[in-house]
Amino acid sequence: MEETNQYLKQERSQPWREELRNSLKAKDRTSRERIKMPEQDPYVRNTNHSEVNNGLTADQAIHEASRCLDCVDPTCISGCPVNINIPKFIKYIEKKDFAGAARTLKETNALPAVCGRVCPQEVQCEQKCFYALKLKKEPVAIGHLERFAADSERESGKMYIPEPAKSNGIKVAVIGSGPAGLTVAGDMARLGYDVTIFEALHEPGGVLKYGIPEFRLPNTIVDIEIENLKKTGVKIFTNFIVGVTATIEQMKQQGYKAFFIGSGAGLPNFMNIPGENLAGIFSSNEYLTRINLMHASHSDYDTPVISGKHVAVIGGGNTAMDSVRTAKRLGADRAMIIYRRSMEEMPARIEEIKHAQEEGIEFMCLNNPVAYLGDDRGRVKTIRVQRMELGEPDSSGRRRPVAVEGSEYDIDADTVIVAVGVSPNPIIPAAIPDLETTKWKTIVVNPETMQTSRPEFFAGGDIVRGGATVILAMGDGRKAAAGMHQYLQNQ
Amino acid sequence: MAARQQQVCTNIYKTNKINSMTDLTTRFAGLTLQNPLIIGSSGLTNHPDNIAELEKQGAAAVVLKSLFEEQIMAETEETIRAAYQHNLIYTQKSDAFDYIDMSVKEDTIAQYLELIRESKKRVSIPVIASVNCVTASEWTSFVNKIQTAGADAIELNIAITPTDVTQTIGAREKIHNIIFERVKTIARIPVIVKLSPYFTNPALVINSLSEAGADGLVLFNRYYNPDFDIETMTEKSANTYSRPDEYSYSLRWIAIMSGKVGTGLSAATGIHNTETIIKQLLAGAQTVQLVSAIYKEGPGYIQTLLKELEQWMDQKGFNQIDQFRARLCTTGSINQGIFDRIQFMKYFSNIG
Amino acid sequence: MYRIVEKEILHDLVVKLVIEHGDIAVSRKPGHFIILRIDEKGERIPLTIADSDPVKGTITLVVQRVGVTSHKLFNMNAGDMLLDVVGPLGKATHIEKTGTILCAGGGVGIAPLLPIARGFREAGNRVISVLAARTKSMVILEKEMRMASDEVIVFTDDGSYGRQGLVTHGMEEVIQREKINQSIAIGPAVMMKYAALTSAKYNIPCMASLNTIMVDGTGMCGACRVTVGGKTKFVCVDGPEFDASLVDFDEMIMRLGAYKDEEYKAYQQYLAKIKA
Repeated sequence: MEETNQYLKQERSQPWREELRNSLKAKDRTSRERIKMPEQDPYVRNTNHSEVNNGLTADQAIHEASRCLDCVDPTCISGCPVNINIPKFIKYIEKKDFAGAARTLKETNALPAVCGRVCPQEVQCEQKCFYALKLKKEPVAIGHLERFAADSERESGKMYIPEPAKSNGIKVAVIGSGPAGLTVAGDMARLGYDVTIFEALHEPGGVLKYGIPEFRLPNTIVDIEIENLKKTGVKIFTNFIVGVTATIEQMKQQGYKAFFIGSGAGLPNFMNIPGENLAGIFSSNEYLTRINLMHASHSDYDTPVISGKHVAVIGGGNTAMDSVRTAKRLGADRAMIIYRRSMEEMPARIEEIKHAQEEGIEFMCLNNPVAYLGDDRGRVKTIRVQRMELGEPDSSGRRRPVAVEGSEYDIDADTVIVAVGVSPNPIIPAAIPDLETTKWKTIVVNPETMQTSRPEFFAGGDIVRGGATVILAMGDGRKAAAGMHQYLQNQ
Repeated sequence: MAARQQQVCTNIYKTNKINSMTDLTTRFAGLTLQNPLIIGSSGLTNHPDNIAELEKQGAAAVVLKSLFEEQIMAETEETIRAAYQHNLIYTQKSDAFDYIDMSVKEDTIAQYLELIRESKKRVSIPVIASVNCVTASEWTSFVNKIQTAGADAIELNIAITPTDVTQTIGAREKIHNIIFERVKTIARIPVIVKLSPYFTNPALVINSLSEAGADGLVLFNRYYNPDFDIETMTEKSANTYSRPDEYSYSLRWIAIMSGKVGTGLSAATGIHNTETIIKQLLAGAQTVQLVSAIYKEGPGYIQTLLKELEQWMDQKGFNQIDQFRARLCTTGSINQGIFDRIQFMKYFSNIG
Repeated sequence: MYRIVEKEILHDLVVKLVIEHGDIAVSRKPGHFIILRIDEKGERIPLTIADSDPVKGTITLVVQRVGVTSHKLFNMNAGDMLLDVVGPLGKATHIEKTGTILCAGGGVGIAPLLPIARGFREAGNRVISVLAARTKSMVILEKEMRMASDEVIVFTDDGSYGRQGLVTHGMEEVIQREKINQSIAIGPAVMMKYAALTSAKYNIPCMASLNTIMVDGTGMCGACRVTVGGKTKFVCVDGPEFDASLVDFDEMIMRLGAYKDEEYKAYQQYLAKIKA
């Protein structure tokens, strides 16, 4: 902590920072309104899959960056799960050194183009911004600025790829090519290791590819990051399930000295209510994978998808928002969210909820399905829903949803998407004996080194945390790479 | 299944009897039982090994330890608390944690279904699932799972302690009927209701549930008794086991109602010896539930009770239970007045 | 990219393809399946591994053309490449010595049955196989099944080969004449349903290998979910084999029909396109 504070002070006292601070009075900064991210019109974008947010222009970014007061005590950093030096990158933008901003971000965050788009900034950095905490005004748009810096670097064609250390010939295996795995791979390659990523699906990227829709995170952005990774020497084998396609023993015989498990929380949770196995009822994983990974909405791709006119999505998180907004884009007349708590308690990003509302999504809060009814072909036709009310808080402080007796009623639905969370995928843990897991089926790790109960195995991301965020996965990846490096150097 | 059950009943029956003329078989809730002794829902019936032992000692049926709605809530709380305290498990904006109570409920129910399945593999006597509920909405899908898992019947414990000062008279009774009817609509197996002792008018409740189609009624449940420790000035529980004299309340109501309702009645609480078993049978009960007696004396005690029952029947010249069952129930009996009377008039004034 | 090294048309609707895949050829066991994708725009489809050669590094798949993807596979040739092949998926068959095993294979289901019959025979069991198909030309892998079994009885719907009747007739006959310890049924869902009922009638445990719709095949999406003994299971990670007496076949059949309209339309469009 002390070192971090020292480092921050040091950076802040650099002459260019001083100069920038002095170039504009604090009063002039705080009188500026927070920039509005340019967006596609809701009723246009709800029929296409292009990004909703168009990104800030350079002028807009500089304007927004100038609002940042470059605080003596930058509280925003404490809100960031990986402690990005936020004021530093923002001031680079104000100075018009966009490449410098991108470089700063990449010191801590391997995929800023992704995080700038998908991080829940409103409960992370932006919540701790001086503007929000003390001035009761809209915080600096840190997320939009991160996206801007990353995008402009990419668009300039000159992406910063750090010079790797001399190759040490030590082989490491990274299991899973989601955000955690990609981060570990990048860091280990930079340290000179011979890195191979093993991905079970036919395309790398994990949840970034199959889970997050094009209109939030275009797959091309993910592909560019993966290409950059390959340029640093990282090899990626798709269609490979570690422990199954080849056993751990066989892989060790091939020379792999350490393994990182980043296989994610890819096991869909269902509610186990009557009728849930009717045709037309999907997990959000299945629905989104068909659309995002298999491009089922394109007629020239072979994978089909069923997305009817009356689509109901059960849940209130980002996955539910992604699913319901996708359904709207696929032509649903009614695209509904059925969520058991109130609007205020929905875990989804504020921006996603706002965008969904604008796009015409119907929000049925304080409602919960109790059963599904089908037609004679076994296809879902009706959802029996029960009204809920908020009762006593549970031990997390959230008020418990309590069913209102006798309040059941029916809703027509020809498609239902169940988005009530995911659990760690059991295949990899099952293939590795003596790997300690928790009662939530996550892998137990040392929180500082991400080392598991088997010393040559490290883990991070959703397989350790349950379904969590991209930024946490990347933070884990960074720690795991450091941990693996230390372990391997001591062997 | 019924045919096989009957065959096994006869088999076990042959090995345990002392007198080949005495037939202890009885029917309750549509089940044919080899004798009237059912082991009630408790820690005795929480594991297939224990249940197998009870069958071996002669129990005619078991009611599995109860699944409590409150227990599920408590486990959910614990899971949430543990997750929030864990420094790596993501809870803040997690979808899975938003619905965590559903998965905890699923897991708890799954374990219970496993208990049913494993018990059914080990024994041939009926295995009755037991559910403690306080609301109507939660249990309907559960009923389907219980019967698919192989339970022979469901015992519903509608355990609403009447402490709500705003609840109107009759509201509790109504909830009993609502819950019962919901379960009965779905259940393909017999539904037995185990009643709490707290009713203003037990006759009304017993009759109403009988008319609604209850396959059996158990009179009565025995609740946890709170007590105080005056040294530490804290709450503690009292009388974990029932006492042998606690059978009177059940006896009264079995005697009064057994002739009045079509549904078979089972006596519970305070049945510790053969004499009490016989009394309950005389009152009209078809079966009795034993818990505390078996806790205290062990499963072997079942053998003792059965032997003594046979001996008494032999002595009295009965070779079937129906020959004396309900003989002392109040309907059409000269003893009606004693059971309706609740004061100690007779005791003090030598009348009757 | 994975090369097709051999192709054999078994009959008008069914093709046998041998694919190069060194890793799967070694790690695969009876009961395992793979998921493949022909090309960039293709679907991911599951196919049971009928055989493998660890020395040559190849696996054998038997495909029946019923839709766009299977038809494309049918028309591929030795030397062509498949873009993606992943496996081995699912749980391997639990094989042990129990006595006499009755194998029942319907149509293209005979292919996944072959390695299982072989496995049970190698474990010391007596293996009796009943093969059933609509007509003579559709009885596949008979020679291989004869080598893997102690006895093979063939039934055809139209009586053009072997005996006339359904696979369940064959099962009844065998069960009546000798003690069977375990039966295994693989074929169309409705065939497995009735095979299971037949086996249950005589209290013989029956195992079925389920063939549901799949997308990822690694437990990620739940498309393959079935109800077994009242619980929801995923065929791709909990199966593909289950105790047939516990499987809700009616629900499985309904779920299999989920995309029937879309698939039919797409197949008709594809057939029209290739004819043009």
